[in-house]
Amino acid sequence: MLCAGTGCVSNRSLEIQTALESELKKYDLQDEIQVVLTGCNGFCSNGPILVVQPDGIFYQMLKVEDIPHLVEEHFLKGRPIEKLMYIPPDKKSPVPKLSDIGFFKKQQLVVLSNRGLIDPENIDEYIAKDGYKALAKVITSMNPDEIIEEIKESGLRGRGGAGFPTGRKWAACRGAPGNEKYIICNADEGDPGAFMDRSIVESDPHAVLEGMLIGAYAIGAANGFVYIRDEYPLALKRIKYAIEKAREYGLLGEGILGTDFNFDLSVNRGAGAFVCGEETSLISSLEGNNPAPRTKPPFPALSGYMGKPTNINNVETWANVPRIINRGAGWFRGIGTESSKGTKVFSIVGKLKNTGLVEVPMGITLREIVYDIGGGILNDKKFKAAQMGGPSGGCIPASLLDLPIDYESLTGAGAIMGSGGMIVMDEDTCMVELARYFLSFTQDESCGKCPPCREGTKHMLDILTGITKGEGREEDIEILETMAKLIKQTAICGLGNTAPNPVLSTIRYFRDEYEAHIKDKRCPARVCKTLIRYTILADKCTGCHICFKNCPSDAITGEAKQIHEIIQDKCIKCGMCFDVCKFDAVRYE
Amino acid sequence: MKLKPSDLDKIAQKMRSVTNLRKGTARIKITVHMGTCGIASGARDILSAFLSCVEEEGVSDVLITTSGCAGLCSREPMATIEAGDKPPVKYVDLTKEKVKRIFKDYVMGGKIVEEYALAIGSERVL
Amino acid sequence: MMIRLKIDNKDVEVQENKTILDAAREINIKIPTLCYNKYLKPFGACRMCLVEITGPMLGGRKKLVSSCTYPVQEGLVVSTDSENVKEKRKFIIELYLAQCPDTEEIVKLAEDNGIPVDDESSLDPVGRYLIYRAKRRKHTKCILCNLCVRVCTEVVLRNALSIANRSTNKRVTTPFDSISETCIGCGSCAYLCPTNAITIEEAE
Ligand SMILES: Cc1cc2nc3c(=O)[nH]c(=O)nc-3n(C[C@H](O)[C@H](O)[C@H](O)COP(=O)(O)O)c2cc1C
Ligand code: FES
Repeated sequence: MLCAGTGCVSNRSLEIQTALESELKKYDLQDEIQVVLTGCNGFCSNGPILVVQPDGIFYQMLKVEDIPHLVEEHFLKGRPIEKLMYIPPDKKSPVPKLSDIGFFKKQQLVVLSNRGLIDPENIDEYIAKDGYKALAKVITSMNPDEIIEEIKESGLRGRGGAGFPTGRKWAACRGAPGNEKYIICNADEGDPGAFMDRSIVESDPHAVLEGMLIGAYAIGAANGFVYIRDEYPLALKRIKYAIEKAREYGLLGEGILGTDFNFDLSVNRGAGAFVCGEETSLISSLEGNNPAPRTKPPFPALSGYMGKPTNINNVETWANVPRIINRGAGWFRGIGTESSKGTKVFSIVGKLKNTGLVEVPMGITLREIVYDIGGGILNDKKFKAAQMGGPSGGCIPASLLDLPIDYESLTGAGAIMGSGGMIVMDEDTCMVELARYFLSFTQDESCGKCPPCREGTKHMLDILTGITKGEGREEDIEILETMAKLIKQTAICGLGNTAPNPVLSTIRYFRDEYEAHIKDKRCPARVCKTLIRYTILADKCTGCHICFKNCPSDAITGEAKQIHEIIQDKCIKCGMCFDVCKFDAVRYE
Repeated sequence: MKLKPSDLDKIAQKMRSVTNLRKGTARIKITVHMGTCGIASGARDILSAFLSCVEEEGVSDVLITTSGCAGLCSREPMATIEAGDKPPVKYVDLTKEKVKRIFKDYVMGGKIVEEYALAIGSERVL
Repeated sequence: MMIRLKIDNKDVEVQENKTILDAAREINIKIPTLCYNKYLKPFGACRMCLVEITGPMLGGRKKLVSSCTYPVQEGLVVSTDSENVKEKRKFIIELYLAQCPDTEEIVKLAEDNGIPVDDESSLDPVGRYLIYRAKRRKHTKCILCNLCVRVCTEVVLRNALSIANRSTNKRVTTPFDSISETCIGCGSCAYLCPTNAITIEEAE
């Protein structure tokens, strides 16, 4: 409702109307949002005035220039702009409610329900939050098959990457022949930019232990391991301390909670290689061998640690278990989508205003994570893509911002849920360089056992590096795509099966960027250094000499008050001259 | 002590009564978030700043404790302060100076330091 | 218990603890291998022995697996020379050609599998890249099949050889790169090496 009283009209409220209507049209919102002209609001000193209903938000002193921003932020993204709002003098910027802040508003906590609330080094605080109640419930009133049925019924799927149904995995291990069985918690977390598991172990270690105890009871395992990344000293310390305290309370060891159930755990530190997170490599490393994957079958459920049936789950998977037992499978199924139940913890990093650890229901859209939770892109730049699933995953471009996040839709889009690492990129990111970066990571982390992963990813990396240096050939995109598919199908383990994904997904969504690098020898995001060329525009250079003084590689010539020039051979493309020039005389392309 | 299932409830009740800010001995509970992110951005100093405030003011009804990451790693160091039956207040981007002011105004004076507060209330737990 | 399966449309019945490769050899179907030796534990590294499987347990899906490690299953349908298998096998050989181009045994393997090594124009883009354009690393004949290390560890029980590093820096060496004190000079490693990358020198 736009005020069209005399006061406001004289303050150009009708121009605001035109601007509003055209902006709304731009986003196709003209049917949803009506611009209504009202009589005088009586607050003429602060006109033009716009009241947005039904929220009752009161904007004041609007200018035509404010409108595009206002429409985008408020009507498109649902974030009223405080700066333009009227705040009654006696009620200046009140502290908002946590549940009203975008970052927290869309989060729903299951796994992280104790985060920030309990002292992770005080087992009693965990117990006060219904801790170990699920364990007590299963060992006093449920038999193993009932527990497995409950987990199956809940729809819980593995949070470590592949999303395998947890109940089915447990059933396979329980049904495997043999009396000696093991369970493992995979806390190796090797994806760059991911720290979900670290944070869960740090903030609520007993939840992981309780989940493992329930799993051990259901599967019939008497021993287990927590395999934790060595670079996580705090998590390591807290899980060890938690185990010690749980032992003191008789929650681990012999005769747990006064019953005849025995289970104990040891903590092993990861060897620091990405491939150690892969289950067969992890088991090989636990056995004291060279951590290289082996072919499956046999699956660990039949033949794992020391050839015995072994069940391995991710930290977050385990931490979901006590909550499912306490609240029931039906409650858990009520969260999420058809194929993906419950919540997922993501570490959101990159070019976002808010970064951190978030837990959201499955099925949330990427847009909600980026704009509502992440607060949008830093410096109000444009969102370009989000890398989901780390180096094994793929990117999701802006056109798919409304994709509901679950296992199937991400896979369909060429990414993966992975363990929950999410890196958000803005318009300044070069997608070829991004693919090159992730591939250089996996290539370096390849254990080297099979040629597709060891040799194949190296060839792909060489081709990509060539493209970023302007040495790409037209056939390279096709070679990359074909080789990627061949490697995916012939490698032994998940590392090689997924390593080409970042290349495939960037080609899929940003083929034009590859082509620009190859055909025009141009990096559209201006990232690839060899493809950038800085020049000084003779008609704009005033000879102020500032670029000369700042150039770290002495690549600029010219006397003061004369036109300067860049010696291309010496230029290291740092962009310093561009940054310091006050006359826009430095240009790059 | 080895627990029996029924002991869990006893511990839970005992804990709840200790941390109950209306009936227990503590009037105010200050939680410093000490995950790796918090510690990396200086949470240890924040913790000791709160502790020295308690010492300086000579108060005995303020409980200082630590917890894990609260999720918003880009705004660490962070602390949550609960007073009586009022909803908790989260303070972000803390420094030693801010801690002093928060302690004086909010812990001692009951007045929220709006400039440093991120929000009041708790997260949605399902 | 005996297991029945089909390989290249031929029925075969084998003991349950056999692999697909074992079953194929029983009915004289040849599957190329590089890292396999029947006296050693299956390793599954070289990827030469890939075959395509399908069957009721896969719900009709097709899957590529290494036949030297895959245990036989009732009702399994195996194909050892489908177009899919040939394409992948060709790729693996081309990778080896790029890794150790001067190794006679590999060149022969390529020729036997119909790769026109000497004719750049009739290669497909990936093959052409791997054989003609790919960067060469330092000269080696070793394809990292691990037969030498495995025979020394599993059969000779001397542990005189080991694997070091990862990725493209992976190599076979002696433990800690020092002269191996446990080597008895039996020559098993050189004997098993499929590319003659190990030579034995007579010493006093
Ligand atoms: C290269 C590679 C790295 C992996 N790293 C991890 C990891 O760091 N943490 C993890 O839980 N799972 C990781 N996985 C997945 C594990 O192999 C395994 O699927 C998982 O631990 C199973 O647990 P879940 O069913 O609970 O997800 C990795 C897989 C691959 C192929
Ligand atoms: S022979 Fe089967 S993988 Fe090498």
